[in-house]
Amino acid sequence: MLLFQSILLGLLLGGLYALLASGLTLYFGIMRVVMIAHSAFLILAAYLAWWMHDRIGVDPLLSMVVTVPLFFAAGVGLQRLLLTRLRPATLTMMSVLLTFAIALTVEGLLGYAFTGTQRRVQLGYSSASFEIFGARIAVVKLIAFVLAVIALSGLYVLMKRTRFGWALRATIQHRDAARLLGIDTERVAGYGFGIGLATAAVGGTALSLDTTIYPSLHWHWIGPLMAIIVVGGLGSVPGAAAAAMVLGMAQSLLQIPMGTTWAQTVFYVALFATLAFRPQGFFGGRLAQRF
Amino acid sequence: MPINSFRAISTATAVFALALGTAGCSGDDQGSSGSSDPIVVGISLPLTGDFSEPGKGVQEGYEAWAKVVNDKGGLLGRQVELKILDDQSNADRVVADYEQLIGKDQVDLVVGPFSTRLVVPSARVAEEYDMLFVEPAGAAKEVFEQGFKNLFYAAPAVANDHYNHLAEHILALPADQRPKTAAYAAMDDPFAQGTAYGLKEKLEAGGVKTVVNEVYPPNTTDFSGIAAKVAAAKADVLVGGSQYQDGVNLIVALQQLGYQPKLAAFSTAPTNPEFAKAIGNKTTGILSPTGYSQDAPYESNKEFVEKFKAQFGKAPEEDQANGYTTGQVVAAAVTAAGCAEQGECQKKLVDWLHSNKVDTVVGPLSWDQTGKPQGAHMIQQWVDNDIKIVLPADVKEADFVYPKPAW
Amino acid sequence: MPNASKRILVGTAIALLAAAILVFPSLAPNPYILSSGVLVLNYAVLATSWNFVGGFTGYISLGHGALAGLGGYATGLLVVKAGLPSFAALAVAALLVAALAVPLGMAALRVRGASFVIVSIALVLILLLVFQSWASFTGGSRGLVVPRPFDLSRPEHHRVFYYLFAVLLAIAVLAWWLIDRSRFGLGLKSIREDEDKAEALGTPTFAYKLIVFVVSAGFTALAGGLYALWFGDLDPVFQFSILTGSYLVLMALLGGVRNLFGPVAGAILVGTALEYFKVEYGDTPLHLVATGVLLALVVLFMPDGVLPAIGDLLKRLDRTKKSSIREVTAAELAEQRKAAV
Repeated sequence: MLLFQSILLGLLLGGLYALLASGLTLYFGIMRVVMIAHSAFLILAAYLAWWMHDRIGVDPLLSMVVTVPLFFAAGVGLQRLLLTRLRPATLTMMSVLLTFAIALTVEGLLGYAFTGTQRRVQLGYSSASFEIFGARIAVVKLIAFVLAVIALSGLYVLMKRTRFGWALRATIQHRDAARLLGIDTERVAGYGFGIGLATAAVGGTALSLDTTIYPSLHWHWIGPLMAIIVVGGLGSVPGAAAAAMVLGMAQSLLQIPMGTTWAQTVFYVALFATLAFRPQGFFGGRLAQRF
Repeated sequence: MPINSFRAISTATAVFALALGTAGCSGDDQGSSGSSDPIVVGISLPLTGDFSEPGKGVQEGYEAWAKVVNDKGGLLGRQVELKILDDQSNADRVVADYEQLIGKDQVDLVVGPFSTRLVVPSARVAEEYDMLFVEPAGAAKEVFEQGFKNLFYAAPAVANDHYNHLAEHILALPADQRPKTAAYAAMDDPFAQGTAYGLKEKLEAGGVKTVVNEVYPPNTTDFSGIAAKVAAAKADVLVGGSQYQDGVNLIVALQQLGYQPKLAAFSTAPTNPEFAKAIGNKTTGILSPTGYSQDAPYESNKEFVEKFKAQFGKAPEEDQANGYTTGQVVAAAVTAAGCAEQGECQKKLVDWLHSNKVDTVVGPLSWDQTGKPQGAHMIQQWVDNDIKIVLPADVKEADFVYPKPAW
Repeated sequence: MPNASKRILVGTAIALLAAAILVFPSLAPNPYILSSGVLVLNYAVLATSWNFVGGFTGYISLGHGALAGLGGYATGLLVVKAGLPSFAALAVAALLVAALAVPLGMAALRVRGASFVIVSIALVLILLLVFQSWASFTGGSRGLVVPRPFDLSRPEHHRVFYYLFAVLLAIAVLAWWLIDRSRFGLGLKSIREDEDKAEALGTPTFAYKLIVFVVSAGFTALAGGLYALWFGDLDPVFQFSILTGSYLVLMALLGGVRNLFGPVAGAILVGTALEYFKVEYGDTPLHLVATGVLLALVVLFMPDGVLPAIGDLLKRLDRTKKSSIREVTAAELAEQRKAAV
């Protein structure tokens, strides 16, 4: 009974991880950039959802109408205006520092605007739930999961079925070759970044439904997400999604014998094990070897 | 060696000289304390960071105290002035803050910060500069095990004794009604754990079996795992060693899983004014220990509630009362000793407090040699959309509700 | 500029810096300023230790705060649990952390850049979790109280530790200088410039990276341990903070990673600024913003450091000399190689 409940919770959690990790691994695929600020934007989106609900009274889900385009634009801008300024030779290292700096800035501004007080969206259906085979599923968690699934499916269709997706995949696989084929890789990279950041907007909204948020919360997320993309193979979106489901489930199940705190270490154990034994990751990702 | 080294070294030297200059200039801005100068009270509080919520409450308490004292002509005929620094809920900062207050700003008195984590390091600074240190928040028993001689906790009881009245009441129930099992979930924080484990010890000794015992880090946001365990164990009693938001999150997660305990007690959270709304107003029966009640019959309390409402436009809560109480304790010592400055005087203040009782808004307080107060907390319960004192019986405002209605 | 006069200039500058550091305690008007001085020196040692990895190999670690915290906790635990004398505990702790750095470095350095940074951040996060959760051993969130090594008044305590940190700084700087001059240092720098070519030319890059990482970890642990003995109260949240690591990077980058005294200058600058703004304007989340914006500006416009950038500007005004992005020209490199043999 507890086991089944934990499996359900792990599944719901894994869905959210999968969405967020996809964005993170997408940046890496496109530009070999580890985007530390990804989770800071996630929290920013959650704050915007909370703020709109608190001030204007709209449902947090509706905030996506604003945040998704806004974040897409921010992502394009970030790539075109900042990341391209870095020297190619030190891009990986310096981009980490740059995105780290952006994360600090976002955190500081959030703290300044909303104080360090923990916030939570209070909805009429916050504590509503329904029963399924003796376990209970909270409505808000299910909404968050469905959001993640829709966003991930959208990303999948975009990558596999559209011309832009084809160009994006070509850029990820071999940038120079893609350019020879006439793909405007700069523009594609910029849009790729925008899409990555847009996933953070969706994820942040999903997050705001069911948890408390505070400015420094993003550190809590970036660790597991980085572990997920390494385990899944840097740059591989399906790998990240698969690793996210496996690790999310593992965390949820390990909570039963180990308690919440120790269960979180599963991400880091998986990270170190992957780097020590299989640096290219377990679910694909040929790119990782050299980075 | 490349020529750049030279430039770097000279710059380092120049920067250093500059730092030295700034330090020198800003070092001498406080002189002696003549009899007409204000009494400066130095405080470091977490106004940002993890403990900013209660930190601000304590700040209001201090401010209310200073205003009440000053409106009456001050202490020893001198006005009271507060110098409050923000420690960002950070232990490194809190030590630097008190170092600055005592060493650089030459304040006359210092009083404590919020949260046990910060009280121990800051009490050590005060101790080593031989300053009296009355504090509003270091309730965990570790605080009193450090061998501090100048420390006094300005509240009725330490964390582990908060639930004493509740434990007595539960164990006195007839055998067929008495709960058999209990679940504990406590934040990894000395105060929060102290309250929960104080009750756990007593219930276990009385034969109530512990079925779940979870500890979570202060910044946990996802409580579904803990809630799943508690719900699966179907414990009769639920005890949350909580601050505010984590208590709310845990309750909501438990509501989502449809778990209904017969008795639920949380430290701190239920007394928060926003608590009822945050958990969907299903509060009836939830218990919380408190060291303070707005309706308490103590003499100074009426004045406090009245003046506080006038100043801040709301009723004081426990955090505010703790700050105010701290001020009252210091004021009593200063009035009795007839002095308030660094040096010899501090010893007089300490000695006086060790051998006397002080009347405060939370009742008369006295301390043992470690600065531990000698009392217990009252138990409050949500009844009819309001939180009321139910234990101990002689001060109760409402009857104890048991078992707790569904939430 | 002729070599001899350059040497004299550099020597004078070092003597001046040393003198400034040494007389500071007697000039400090109150114990608070002195304690800030201890903090700044602590930062200087940490930033210099960081620069063993960051400066020589170009691998940027955001996790050195965790290594310092580990050194602090190891020292504290050895004193409290094993009953070792304070400074013996400090030495053992540094060795332990250096030993731990071996497997850590092997996981982190086997692959290039990105994974290294990920591991360094993960290190901070995992140690925070472990030290918080393993309360029976580390004291958890109740913290660990490290006994004072000397029975002194508080101002005297600050003064003694100020000089101890100054000594440690001197040792760290000396070690950096020795490596900088050695063949080993040359190999490390070749990794920074182009790791593939260095490897192709037969430099044992992995071993070199690992050795210098271990040395860096050892020095960082010493600084962390000394801090623990000075400060006395350890709390996982503050010992394993991601912010410490980022301050170190900012300090080193600001001062210039390729200079012996760059990180020291950066530490004095940033450390003093942090304290100054705190005293004058109080603490607000804007500190984070300032740190973030400053770091971003440095990374975007002056990745080789602010001080060197200013230096280059002056040089360009001064004379139309070489404008290579490399630190040394090929000719100088050859000369150095000759000297090293």
